[in-house]
Amino acid sequence: MSTKKMTRRDFLKYAGLASGAAVAASVMGTLPAAAAEATEKPSLFQFPHIQKKEFEGVIVRMLAISGANYDELYKIIPEWEEQTGAKVEFVFKGDGFQTDKRLVQDFAAGTVDYDVCWDHSSFFSQYVKADGLEPLENWFSDEELADFIPRLVDATRRDGHLWVIPRHFDISCMHYRTDLMGADQVPETWDQFKELAKQLTDPAKGIYGTQFAGKEEALSGRFYEVMTAEGGQLFNEKWEPTFNSPAGVKAATMFAELYAAGAMPPGMTSFVWEDVAKNFAAGIIAIYSEWYGWYSFFQDPSASKVAGKFDLARQPMGDGKIHSGWAGHHGFSITKASQNKPAAASLIKWLTSVKGNELEAKLGFLVARQSVWEKIIVEAETSTDPLAKKRLELALLQAQEDFKTPPLIAEWLPMSNILYPILQQIILGDVEPQKGLDDAAEQVRDMMAKAGYYGTGA
Amino acid sequence: MATISVTKSPARARVFEISADEAKRLPWLLLTPGLVALAVVVAFPMFYSFYLSFTNYDLTRPTTEFVGLYNYIKLFSNATFWQAFGRTVLFMTLAVNLEFLIGLAIAQLMAKALLGRGLLRTVLMMPMMFAPVLVGFQFKWFFNDQVGLVNNLLFTLTGQPHIIPWLVQVPLGFISILVAEVWMGTPFMVIILEAGILSLPTEPFEAAEVDGASGWQKFRHLTFPMIGPFIYTAMAIRSLDLARVYDVVSIMTGGGPGTRTELIWTYVYRLAFTGHDYATGSAMSYVTVIVSFLFTFFLFRNVIRSRWEGRE
Repeated sequence: MSTKKMTRRDFLKYAGLASGAAVAASVMGTLPAAAAEATEKPSLFQFPHIQKKEFEGVIVRMLAISGANYDELYKIIPEWEEQTGAKVEFVFKGDGFQTDKRLVQDFAAGTVDYDVCWDHSSFFSQYVKADGLEPLENWFSDEELADFIPRLVDATRRDGHLWVIPRHFDISCMHYRTDLMGADQVPETWDQFKELAKQLTDPAKGIYGTQFAGKEEALSGRFYEVMTAEGGQLFNEKWEPTFNSPAGVKAATMFAELYAAGAMPPGMTSFVWEDVAKNFAAGIIAIYSEWYGWYSFFQDPSASKVAGKFDLARQPMGDGKIHSGWAGHHGFSITKASQNKPAAASLIKWLTSVKGNELEAKLGFLVARQSVWEKIIVEAETSTDPLAKKRLELALLQAQEDFKTPPLIAEWLPMSNILYPILQQIILGDVEPQKGLDDAAEQVRDMMAKAGYYGTGA
Repeated sequence: MATISVTKSPARARVFEISADEAKRLPWLLLTPGLVALAVVVAFPMFYSFYLSFTNYDLTRPTTEFVGLYNYIKLFSNATFWQAFGRTVLFMTLAVNLEFLIGLAIAQLMAKALLGRGLLRTVLMMPMMFAPVLVGFQFKWFFNDQVGLVNNLLFTLTGQPHIIPWLVQVPLGFISILVAEVWMGTPFMVIILEAGILSLPTEPFEAAEVDGASGWQKFRHLTFPMIGPFIYTAMAIRSLDLARVYDVVSIMTGGGPGTRTELIWTYVYRLAFTGHDYATGSAMSYVTVIVSFLFTFFLFRNVIRSRWEGRE
């Protein structure tokens, strides 16, 4: 058999020809199908405010959250581009904290060169304070906002303006093990929760009654929601810290008592969201507050020992007779520096449309539009997952009645930064709850004074 | 007239003639690019952060006001800062001395080794090859209370489940970060001290041998004083390293829980970069840097003194 040595140039030439032919074949093969689909299926682009090719040649620059299933929504952007003639360019993609950091820096440095940005109900006040966002009430009519869950929209109204259009939200509910306790034991108050958690703790079986994420904003947020249920507030109307009230002390004492009783894992002060979710999935926790977002992970038998062995319940109430409901939502904002605000608003309307929400609902997100909720709850009735319908109904009920964001001020995260190490000290018994919260309140007051809340300059 | 000749090749020599004034200016001209780079990347950020320490600068606030010494005055009554400062000094003192003692012992043994010294050196240098962040993750896992190596090892040895929260309890959290830092820093001590031991002249040791000195006496009265400059140099460098320790602690405990393992730079980071309070963070940094400078000055003064005594 004769062989011919192929030169590198020949190889590249043939490889180029082969790949070119493959691309041509694939295009030839898909074009008729795509054309047929376009003629058979009506477009889901249903917004009357958009005219065909009205943004021809416009480039909308976007700073977006990425990772997990967040990017799936961006797959509907090409259809918007096709309809409007505009193009979307992503200038940055990162996780929530990276994106927040980038936004804070860009607004501070005045280097914003994008039109649309990801936003969050806990973070947007910083951008408002930095004068970086465009008020949205001029771009979104009441009619267009009517379908969104009202508490979500209200969560980003401040200073008389609307700043964020909600995309999806998350809120926590009680996750409890059905093999360790009955539905009749589900606590209605945080006092009952505390006693139940102690009762369910079984060191011999390696079971802890409960747990909380034990650091950073995760801990401050949990404290916030227990304290508000107990009737407390973080601030009074003059923005003076009031979390060292009896309600705050009661909430902090509950954390400390649970830890001292061994009802929580000893390393809980180092836990963040992923740690607590893994602990529950590992089967070592009886009952605790968790975000809905982890549901599919818990129900996956290959990753979770509690698949099919847990149920969900509304967050307990406190002495204030209100349910806990620390919540937050993702959304989109328009930057003040945007040169293409009409196109930016149009893109946000598209991303938060029924179509966008339906797509995200299928991925497990708790979406912002009520009409989509009605549809997915009906669909869940036929699901093989016994919790599917209950989960959705409970989440919607909480979104409508319990949804509470932290205070809508830029100082929430800096305040949390002061609060959480002191809460950790209280939990570990290094400081008495009243003294610890008094110290934290003094530091927060100083921070608020520096930020100009009391009219003083320092 | 001064002349400067620049030779490109033996065959083609070119001579530039410049005036005496130009000759004086030439070094500055050549230094200019370096000075500009230093000004941009070192001097400007330093002076700017110094200026920030006298303001109420906040990244999310559009306006910044001059507040004089407010941040420094608040700092002196900030118990958390001084606790973190004291803990950092304690951490630095313990880590440097432990690294020195362990490093000296290993260096002394290695200097005696006849075989495999090169291999030993390579193995010993491995901790230095890891990024501090990785070392932090590695030791965080070692000391994890649920799935950590240490608790599992205790379980294997004793047959009893041990859920010791190494990174939480006092003083275990502090000891855990100290172990990680000593593991990472000791090889540097070994290398410097071994170089010092190997560079010593043999004659004093031969004379001591003839006089019947024991091994300990030779070490106590010859090796130890003679490697003094090496000891001070190694300790000064490590002290400076440890005075700015951040990565390992941040990964392992984040300075917590509470303030149990809070060191100065984890506190500054929490204030400035998470809390956006760059002004107070800058003030803290300057106080810390000034104290570090005084500490280094003290150490280097001892280095010079020990060298001087060595000559005598």
